[in-house]
Amino acid sequence: MGKPRIHVGLEIGTTKTVMVVAEVKPDGSVKILGLGETSSAGVRKGEIVDYPQVRACVKAALLKAEDLSDVDISSVFLAVTGPHVEGLNNRGTYRLPEGESEIRSRHVEEVKEIASDIAIPSEHVYLHSLIRHYAVDGQPHATMPTGLMGRKLDAEFHIVHGVRTRVQNSIKCAREIPLDVDDIVFAPIASAQVVLERKWKEAGALVLDIGGGTADYVLYVDGAILASGCIPVGGDHVTNDIHLVTHLPLSKAEQVKKTEGDASGDPEKSEGVVTVADEGGFPDVELKRQILNDVIRMRFQEMLELVRERLPEDGLLRIGKGVFLTGGSSQMEGLGELAQDVFGLPVYKPESPDVSGVHAYIKDPQYSTALGLIRYAQILEEERPNSTALAKASGFLRSLWPFGG
Amino acid sequence: MIPYERTRQQTIPNSAVKIIGVGGAGANMLDRIALDGMEGAELLACNTDVRTLTSSVAPEKIQLGRNLTRGLGAGGDPALGNQAAQEAELEIRDALRDRKIIFICVGLGGGTGSGAAPLLAQLARDEGAFTVVFATTPFNFEGARRREQAENALAELSTLANALITFDNTRMGELVLAKQGVHEAFSAADRMVSESIRAVTRIVMRPGLVNIGLDDLMAALSSPKSRCLFGSGIAHGENRAQQALKNALVSPLLDRGSLLNDTDTVLVHVCGGEDMTLYELELLMRGLSKHVPETAQILFGTSVDPAMAESLSVTLVSSLPEDRLRADFSKNLSAKKAEKVKEPDAEEAEPSEEALSEETGSSEKPAELDSKDDAVADGDSALESSLGSQLDGVEEEPAADQEDAITLESADEEAKFEEVEQDIQLDAGSNIRMRVKELPHPGEPDNEERVPDEVPVLASEEVSDSGFVEAVPSLAETGQSLDLEDDDAFFAETGPAGGPAPIKVESLEEIQASAKAKRPQDELALDGGPKGKFEGEDPNLIEGEDLDIPPFLRKKK
Repeated sequence: MGKPRIHVGLEIGTTKTVMVVAEVKPDGSVKILGLGETSSAGVRKGEIVDYPQVRACVKAALLKAEDLSDVDISSVFLAVTGPHVEGLNNRGTYRLPEGESEIRSRHVEEVKEIASDIAIPSEHVYLHSLIRHYAVDGQPHATMPTGLMGRKLDAEFHIVHGVRTRVQNSIKCAREIPLDVDDIVFAPIASAQVVLERKWKEAGALVLDIGGGTADYVLYVDGAILASGCIPVGGDHVTNDIHLVTHLPLSKAEQVKKTEGDASGDPEKSEGVVTVADEGGFPDVELKRQILNDVIRMRFQEMLELVRERLPEDGLLRIGKGVFLTGGSSQMEGLGELAQDVFGLPVYKPESPDVSGVHAYIKDPQYSTALGLIRYAQILEEERPNSTALAKASGFLRSLWPFGG
Repeated sequence: MIPYERTRQQTIPNSAVKIIGVGGAGANMLDRIALDGMEGAELLACNTDVRTLTSSVAPEKIQLGRNLTRGLGAGGDPALGNQAAQEAELEIRDALRDRKIIFICVGLGGGTGSGAAPLLAQLARDEGAFTVVFATTPFNFEGARRREQAENALAELSTLANALITFDNTRMGELVLAKQGVHEAFSAADRMVSESIRAVTRIVMRPGLVNIGLDDLMAALSSPKSRCLFGSGIAHGENRAQQALKNALVSPLLDRGSLLNDTDTVLVHVCGGEDMTLYELELLMRGLSKHVPETAQILFGTSVDPAMAESLSVTLVSSLPEDRLRADFSKNLSAKKAEKVKEPDAEEAEPSEEALSEETGSSEKPAELDSKDDAVADGDSALESSLGSQLDGVEEEPAADQEDAITLESADEEAKFEEVEQDIQLDAGSNIRMRVKELPHPGEPDNEERVPDEVPVLASEEVSDSGFVEAVPSLAETGQSLDLEDDDAFFAETGPAGGPAPIKVESLEEIQASAKAKRPQDELALDGGPKGKFEGEDPNLIEGEDLDIPPFLRKKK
């Protein structure tokens, strides 16, 4: 597969902006070279609201990443999210022309085009058209059907689309650094590449990436995406809820949420009070654990229920492996128990890293999206040995981005 | 003329209502009405085409142009349709005689409908009936010519009929889902007309707690050259008040309530089962006030109908001058209208001012109020504003005395001076009457119905009793004079049998205060709660819940 390649993933999140630099070796292993991180400003619920601030954050993350990895970064894979991004499924059918019975790659291209031809709102743009399944004469085939004999070719696609202008905002931000954008990836799809192993995708698994401003989800069934989407509620809401209910300042609310909060609904955990120390010399504030935990639990419960409602009807039944929680807010104490209550499925929660150093990032759910971008780039490259991912991506971006290129 | 009776509230007997379907589309609407069941009202089908006429389920039928078209249709020619109707004029007159309300259902654009409907409306008015025309206008794809024919007929009808309610067929698509059959679309449109007719008759025929009569209806529809806005909604279950109002507002005739923003007068009629609460009414009216300008006069009526069981219906009737509805409406028409409006004004301005000056000096005579009211009723804004200040004077005098009640009503030439009164039967058996004054001109802060505010006053009967007794003679006088003066008034509200009729008079200040208190909110504030750091952002709505508000606070409610 030739020489090692360097990939860079950029995630502009609600709470932090992360840039990961990694080297993909010819044998397929990934080595993280560096990671630049700054806390974000000007991002609300996954979307850019204050442009100059966000640009400064990206710049800072870039400098840190370049510094650590000693790599001159020129292009990135960019993760996008936001409640405007939607995923849906479509099926395309193509009947082979008379006299031809062997499926060739041009037939496959044709069926892909038919399947992607779906009415999305005019202001929306495609982010992904991901193949789910092929079928030849009604027989399902998971892999490429070229070379098979058949009369009729079906393709099922999962199509992810979002509002064009909002996607452009993210791209513009990277471009002005200046950084080229290799491809844009819907955040939970990137996260899933790190969180899920191939066999779990086959068995069926739900990845729930709960970040600061959004909760993104992607459902894998039979190795392909069945559903994906984003709910504009995240860890920030939990902090805000605590602030509103208890009247603690936001910074204190955040601290209490992280150190004292529990979402499990276990009555034992809700005994007694939390004492919030005051640095300024004023008396400490006492807060009932029952109230704190109720506030947190209700917020997460609503969030998880919203996700559950959005999954296709038989979606939950087809999950063979379980629910995977990731994202910064998934570190919430007791969230696993709550998710189990809501989904009625085994819940896998990433553990906090127990080793420090660069490798610790791999385990840390906060970085799953950024790392996932690297995996995504790698998969993209594997799938297209002939054409580089860059060529494909720039072709795609040219359609989206009128300038440059 | 209906004789004056003191014993009970008068309502229009069922037999006084007649519904006429003209032309093919009219016959379809009539069939729908007949199928839905219309208690008491007589149905009459008029058509040139004998085949559709015979297939109609209407018990009464009149063939138009028996010799002219010989049982065939009018072939899309309104002139032919008109001639055909003229041929049957005597027959039609016989059929319309002594009817109090006549509904004419017609599909405009074709020959029979466009040609015969104006003549029918004319005849109906000649016979002294209150005429309501339900007209549909053709689809856009039917071409300019049919649309022009429809517009011409519409222009005629809007001057002839007391109320004109139109439905644009082009908007039929809004009534049904895209995939539903064309048959369903048409029957949905017909059903809407049939429901509208039923709602209007329900308003007029059923005596209410807070009664609304033909006079109020005409006040709501009074502005000359206007298009009727109409919405009716029914709902049951929890939150039915809001739901019913919402259903009424989504009527295609109202354009989701947005058309109400420009109106001067709105008639609201709420009909519910016996479990309808005052709170629901208040809620509903508050909801409505967001759609209606502050200055608009709200004619409110409510009635309890055990047949409604647990449901609640809301009917909104209002009118909007045509130029506001559609700015580019044909010019020649407006010129013609302008003349029409001027004539009565010139005649009536003089007597009215005389009457006014007398009234403000001496204690008032209801008979004179009548003539004044006529002048006001023309709906000419210039005249009204000039009268406005004087009216105020008149209004304040009785308010100060707490003795006499003057009810001023805006109405057109047909509607004379009427009173809106209501009986509230308390369980204690005491008979208490409420009287609502209405000021006809839109510039004035409107006198809203104040049911909720009344209740505490009613409780203290003693206080108001003295006023009640003294008020009796003036009431009787008013009522009798009404009878003498008003040939066209169909019914007058009267006091309960025997005994003094207690009347509650509101002072102008009180009314204004109440109007201010009920001023609609500037902005529809989303209920909910604090949003902390998300304050000021667009609401993060999913399934009707603002996700930025803590669930802890939302769910606890």
